[in-house]
Amino acid sequence: MTTAHSPSPAPASPASPPAPAPPAGRPARAGRPAAGAVRAIALAELRMIVRNRTVAACAVLVPLGFGVLLLFLDGAGSAGVLAGLQIIGMVGMGVYVTVTTTLSARRQTLYLKRLRGGAVSDAGILAGVVLPVAAVSVAQLVVVLGVLALQDPPTHPLLLVVAVLAAEAMFVGLGLATAGATTSPEHAQYTTLPVFVVALGAAIWFQLTGVDELIAVKRLLPGGGLTELVALAWDGGDLGLVPWLLLPTLGWAAVGGLAARRSFRWEPRR
Amino acid sequence: MTETTRPTRAATDDVIRASGLGCSYDGHVAVADLDLTVRRGELYALLGTNGAGKTTTLEVLEGHRRQTSGSVRVLGGDPVDRVRTRPRVGVMLQDSGLASELTVRESVALAGAVSGRRDSVDAVLARVGIDHRADTRVLQLSGGEKRRVDFAAAVWGTPELVFLDEPTTGLDPEARDHLWAAVGDLREAGVTFLLTTHYLEEAQQHADRIGLMHRGTLRREGTVADLTAGATTTIRFVVPGAVDDLPLPVSRTENGLAVVETHDPQRDVGRLLAWADQGGHALERFSAHESGLDDVFRSLSRAS
Repeated sequence: MTTAHSPSPAPASPASPPAPAPPAGRPARAGRPAAGAVRAIALAELRMIVRNRTVAACAVLVPLGFGVLLLFLDGAGSAGVLAGLQIIGMVGMGVYVTVTTTLSARRQTLYLKRLRGGAVSDAGILAGVVLPVAAVSVAQLVVVLGVLALQDPPTHPLLLVVAVLAAEAMFVGLGLATAGATTSPEHAQYTTLPVFVVALGAAIWFQLTGVDELIAVKRLLPGGGLTELVALAWDGGDLGLVPWLLLPTLGWAAVGGLAARRSFRWEPRR
Repeated sequence: MTETTRPTRAATDDVIRASGLGCSYDGHVAVADLDLTVRRGELYALLGTNGAGKTTTLEVLEGHRRQTSGSVRVLGGDPVDRVRTRPRVGVMLQDSGLASELTVRESVALAGAVSGRRDSVDAVLARVGIDHRADTRVLQLSGGEKRRVDFAAAVWGTPELVFLDEPTTGLDPEARDHLWAAVGDLREAGVTFLLTTHYLEEAQQHADRIGLMHRGTLRREGTVADLTAGATTTIRFVVPGAVDDLPLPVSRTENGLAVVETHDPQRDVGRLLAWADQGGHALERFSAHESGLDDVFRSLSRAS
């Protein structure tokens, strides 16, 4: 006689006394789990960038190649204008496109959902994913702008640092927003085009026409005010303009952040 | 920090308490008016038909999704609370979400870093039997090995409550045994488990209580004995030749087999065997099948 699926007695009935509370592991150090977790996420992200050849090429080699290529461009204008073009192009590709593509990929593989199941905040997760991308971008700029500075040093180096940080913030914000409207890494090839073209276009427009021709519009466009700010930091000029050039750039960063807050998704649609 | 991290160790022994839980999205009611209680130290299996609402229920309890109605308390707190609740909960997702470029060691260390608990990577990997692949990238792992990495991440730091969503899918029998042995060790330490699985025999073997979901609600709940109480035993055999004195009434015929259903298998099997012995009849393809969870499950899925 064969007997299948005999109802085995349950190990413990509901009436049995409850088990003692478990030791529950050792909690992370007081007040420090967020910092440690963000560091761990950032380190993991850096490893993933380095180990994935396609991502490494898009995030590291292509922006670097763009920046180096511009160094050999004759007639681009002053060193400041050239630096503006380099910053917009390199950060646009290295941060904006990479952040959008990376977040879409991490969402698609449910990596973001996994991280979100832990104790770290949403902002901490995004910081961990974005920081290595921004750090790689800054390192690229140091190399390329360093070479340019050897030929023609910037007039206001601290203002240049501010401009670079503003560029990173603007493209991170816009990348977060665009990732919310992007369903896959492949889709990111299309969704990133409008902002990237507008930003680079504004930089080229400034390169070609300077402060002439619709200057207010130019300054308001993402990349327009920033290019002028870089040119001002490098070539010198009226420092009273700094707030009017910095504000639109930081404004775009804030718009991107707010849009991401409304539309960012942590899991693929089902 | 201990006080800050675990301030809500309630006087109650209910680790999960959902009341009137409802969850809808995109105009679809996934879960409706679900009441569920999981007690400290027990292993509760949430089973259900495809589309029954198990995953949505689990996502709400794990804090991945907000309910649209009702109340949910996990370890006395809000499941979404990442400061107080999450460090006490381990989650093994159905789809792993592991990064393919990272090694096993790096993946588990990352999961540990974001968990809010502390443990040793080597100890956790050894506990789940994946330590021999510690430096292998996730991309190169088999499906079963990835599940073990998922399990390692979920039990990092011995959380008070662990969600296991289809934990043994893709595991070979030996790996399953290893996983269940690890679950057993954690249960001895008092860890509470909420399990979903399509392997009914695993739920039957390991769960203290089982909840059966169908169409967004909990239709039945209890121990295996509760759920199968009153069920019949089915006796099947080929009727030998032209006999007209069978000692048992045949309920129906299936694929040439006579089917007898009984509530007293000991008595009726004894009568049948004695009859065959005395009459010299050969009972070909004889079997007696005691109704189990799978029968209860099938009757549930047939119900409207």
